[in-house]
This record gives sequence, C-alpha cells and structure tokens, in this order.
Amino acid sequence: MNAATVIFQRLSESFWLNCKLFGLTLLFSVPLGFVVAFGSMSRFKPLAWLTRTFVWAIRGTPLMLQVIIIYFAPGLLFEMTPWGSGSSGRLVACTIAFVINYACYFSEIYRGGIEAVPRGQYEAGKVLGLTKSQIFFRVTLLQLVKGILPPMGNEIITLIKDTALARIISNKEIIMMAQEYASKGLIWPLFSTAIYFLVFVGGLTLLFGWIEKKMDYFRV
Amino acid sequence: MPVLEVQSIKKSFGAVEVLKNIGFSLEKGQSLAVIGSSGSGKTTLLRCLNFLERPDGGRILVNGKTVFDAAAVKSQSEAQIRQNRLHFGLVFQNFNLFPQYTALQNVTLAQELLARSQPDYQRSKKAILEEIRTRAQGLLASVGLSNRMDNYPHQLSGGQQQRVAIARALALQPDILCFDEPTSALDPELTGEVLGVIRSLAERDTTMVIVTHEMAFARDVSDCIIFMDDGRIVEQGTPDQVINHPQMERTKAFLSRF
Repeated sequence: MNAATVIFQRLSESFWLNCKLFGLTLLFSVPLGFVVAFGSMSRFKPLAWLTRTFVWAIRGTPLMLQVIIIYFAPGLLFEMTPWGSGSSGRLVACTIAFVINYACYFSEIYRGGIEAVPRGQYEAGKVLGLTKSQIFFRVTLLQLVKGILPPMGNEIITLIKDTALARIISNKEIIMMAQEYASKGLIWPLFSTAIYFLVFVGGLTLLFGWIEKKMDYFRV
Repeated sequence: MPVLEVQSIKKSFGAVEVLKNIGFSLEKGQSLAVIGSSGSGKTTLLRCLNFLERPDGGRILVNGKTVFDAAAVKSQSEAQIRQNRLHFGLVFQNFNLFPQYTALQNVTLAQELLARSQPDYQRSKKAILEEIRTRAQGLLASVGLSNRMDNYPHQLSGGQQQRVAIARALALQPDILCFDEPTSALDPELTGEVLGVIRSLAERDTTMVIVTHEMAFARDVSDCIIFMDDGRIVEQGTPDQVINHPQMERTKAFLSRF
C-alpha cells in the first residue's frame, strides 16, 4: 500500500468522527429545538423570559467556548467527571455542547415557522373539534416543515463544517488529523480535507432539493 | 324550544367594548342573517358562538342546554369546550382549508380523528372510515364538486375552496352552521356559486347564522335579520320588517347605501 492510500484511509477514519458528531447532534437537537421554541413562546412569562435569555446566551457566545466549558467546567468547578475518560468522553461532551447550541438556533427557525402558519389554520382546526396536539401534528406541522426547509438546510450545512471545532478538546476529527501531517511537513492532506466536506455538503444539497420537491404538491 | 339562545353576551378587547349585551334566539331550521357595517361586532359575535373568543358575560344555550356561561367559565375543561364546539360549524371568510390535504381529505379529516374515540373503532375501523369517506363524497357532490375531490386547495378557485369549506363544516353535522362573510374574498362571479350553495342549504332547512354584506341575498334567504351597530342589536325581525320597513334611523342610514 502506498503512502497516499494510507493517508486517505486515516483521513476517512477521522472524518467518521465528524459524521458521528453531525448525526448525533441532529438526532437530538432537531426535537430539542421544538421544546426550546415552545418554551420561548410560552404564555407563562417567566418560562418564556428564561428560555429567551438562555437562547441569547447560547447564540451570543462562540460554540468553541461552549465546547470548552461543557468539557472542563464540571471538573474544575464541582470536581465531577461526568464525561468518562478517553476519546468517548470527549465526544460525549462535544455532542452535548453541539446539541444545546443547535437546538437554540433551530428553535428560532421553528418559532419563525410556527408563527408563519396563518392563524386561520389553527382556528379551522379548533372549530372542527380537533385537540391541540391534533392541530399541531395533523394540520400545522407539515406546513411549518415546508416553510423552514431552506433555513434548516443552511444550518445543517453549517453543522457539518462546525464539527471541525471538536478538535478543541482533542477529538481527532479530520482537520486535526490532517494537521498532524502538516506539522511533519506534508501539506496536501490538509488541503484534501476540503473534498470530504464538499462531497458531504453536495449530498445534503441534493437531499434537501429532493425533500423540497416532495413537498411541492401543496402551497402554503 | 329554540335551537340557539344567546343571552346578554358581552365582550371587550381591552378598553373597547365590542359586544354590548347581545341577545337573540333562533328556531330550528331557520336562518338568521346578521348585517351591519364593519366593526359593528358581527364577526366577534360569530367567533363567540364558536368559542374562538370567550365572552366576558352572558350565556349561550343550544337546545335548552347551557354550552357557555361566563359565570362558570373556569369550570369548563378543554375537552368540554371541544365537545360544545361541535354544536356549531363555521365557514370562514378566507376558507382556511388545509393546504396539504385534498378536497376530500379536508372534509374527512376531523371525522376520522373524532371516530378514534368511538368504542368499536379498532374492531370496525375499515367500515367506519369507508362510511366517512362515502358521506364526504356525497357532501362534495352536493356542493357541485364531485369532479374536484382529489384536487388540492391551491388547484381550486376561491368559490370552489369555499364550497369545500362548507362541505367540511357540514360533515360534522352541526346544529347551527355559521358563515363569516363567506363571499367577501370572492369576485362577483364566484360569489354567485357560493350563495347558491347556501341558498340550497336554507331550502333544506339547515339552521344557519350568516354574517354577510350581501343585502339582497340576506333578504331572500333568511327567515330573520339582525342589524348590528356599535356592538348592539339595533333592530331585528323578518327580512321584510328590517330591510323593507326599517324603524330605526340608524338602520335606514345603513340600508340607504345599498
């Protein structure tokens, strides 16, 4: 096996960590975003206020800083070690920071989407005797999903690139791996990491285009 | 016994008193037209009947049974309100069809969801859904849309959408069907087809409350008319009394514009 093949193999292995972080973050932050969105829209003012302050704090500070705080703060402040040792612990901490961060961004997109569904849709559901959850799941959800697809596509594309931040707590993601070669004087692996991201984002773009087409059968 | 009794309904939005002591009753099979200028409280009245607004005072009775009492509003659970709502149907000014469902699905959706609480739903699911579907097809045919059942709302004209909305409201067999300016969003040509459907409902003795600006239609179709101004009922009676021989100056002034 020649050197280039070995390098690409190792880059691919480390990109798998980016993919894992991407997948786990989406898995948890997409539903959690709804919880945050409903919190910030709550008619119980203290809850709405608290949630909006939280969203402000998360959106107002760098994700990199949040990763560092989530990873180190429990140990430094409370002498707790909730993340376990080694690489899996570092990935867990990183995932949690990402989930919280992305849930806050998603919540704002959801809030916009929910508020964009005409009030008449809720009222039509109400006068037909539907329950609140039936109105949400059977009437408004699909309309709001259609409305938020473009901004969600944007955020999700940003997410795969943000996964490179995982290295800040020594998660061996693809750019960190490539930089090890660079520090030994081999620069092309670092450049070639772009290919991984480009291919990934290309796939996402196709996927979102396909979903948008699937939802083209109705107009909001 | 009247099918609908509205007793001294009051409603304010902030400092603005929109409904000031509204009371009337309606017999089964009759249609009531509510006329008046914009801002007179007609739509708010209709929204109170459909529990989209909560009156600050007064009572609403359907078939002699209290469905709303402002004095006992706290004791009403969400489920009770939902139950009481089903006495009324509402057709909106701008249709409010569900865009992701076909005309037929718009009509069947609520019934399908309600049917789930039937005790024998699991056992005879197929038969129940089939029955709902057949009835919905019949309703859509009755409003002249048998060839449009599988179209989505955006593929239909405004008049067709409003007829779907009427079929959707009828599907739940409400005691009282309410219309909130059902033709205000339509051009004159499409207005005719919707009014035609409402007219045929009146001929089949559907109990209706119709808020409208179509005076000629109100006169022809309704059994009684209420003229509202500034949150009050100024005059009520038969179409002949209110439109042809109004007693109050305010009514005369309003009607002189038509």
